[in-house]
Amino acid sequence: MRHLRIESDGVNRLRLRGVDPVLLDCLQRLPEILGQRDAPEVRQRLFPDPTDAETETNCDWQRLIAPELRHLFEAAGETVARDLANLAPDPQHKHHFQISFAADHLNAWMSAINQARLILGELFQVTEADMNRPDFDLDQPKGLALFRIHVLGYLLQLLVEHASI
Amino acid sequence: MPQTGTVFVQETKPKENLDIPWNVVVFNDPINLMSYVTMVFQRVFGYPRHKAEQLMLEVHYKGRSIVWSGGREQAELYVHQLHSYQLLARLERSQ
Repeated sequence: MRHLRIESDGVNRLRLRGVDPVLLDCLQRLPEILGQRDAPEVRQRLFPDPTDAETETNCDWQRLIAPELRHLFEAAGETVARDLANLAPDPQHKHHFQISFAADHLNAWMSAINQARLILGELFQVTEADMNRPDFDLDQPKGLALFRIHVLGYLLQLLVEHASI
Repeated sequence: MPQTGTVFVQETKPKENLDIPWNVVVFNDPINLMSYVTMVFQRVFGYPRHKAEQLMLEVHYKGRSIVWSGGREQAELYVHQLHSYQLLARLERSQ
């Protein structure tokens, strides 16, 4: 992903350039990954209780706040899915792609990518030690999930840096 | 002439719920990027980068950090915002 970068693309638009086939595969799998928000182990992570032991508060939160968060998360995923329709070959780098999207979609991109990483992390019970492993067995589902978490993390890092400018 | 009769006193929730400060606690997780957590602290609380990074490092190395203390209502609002950024955050009564 050495060619990956974000640049301005006219007024209020951004262009993600140098998307290699590996990142492209991860991005195209985003809808499938985000569709697993309701797996029980994922639900607890994306829609956590706000207190340790206040049952009534936690129930109210799950009834009132969690649906709002769900709507926010779903909207972010849908925004990115629509933006991915703008995928085109990157003329500067052979076998690479570029995506142009509205600058105010940046938060949606960060949200969707972070959600996907968290979902994969919960589904495969990824630990801190797993994240620090230097290599992955791509023939194993967990190894592949770890690989995707890191690939998406690379893009997220780039988006965060851009958002922090 | 003095009035006589029954006085009804309405019971209210204990006042301590409102007066005792509440902590907003953020917990470590293995997935969230350090840079992402720092950015969220800056956005949600308006902290300068240095303070946001210090809190992020406390979360990372100690497993949790009290990132804000104050009234219950505001604390709930912050937890809501942190959840919207997918951070593991919780409300705790200050000791």
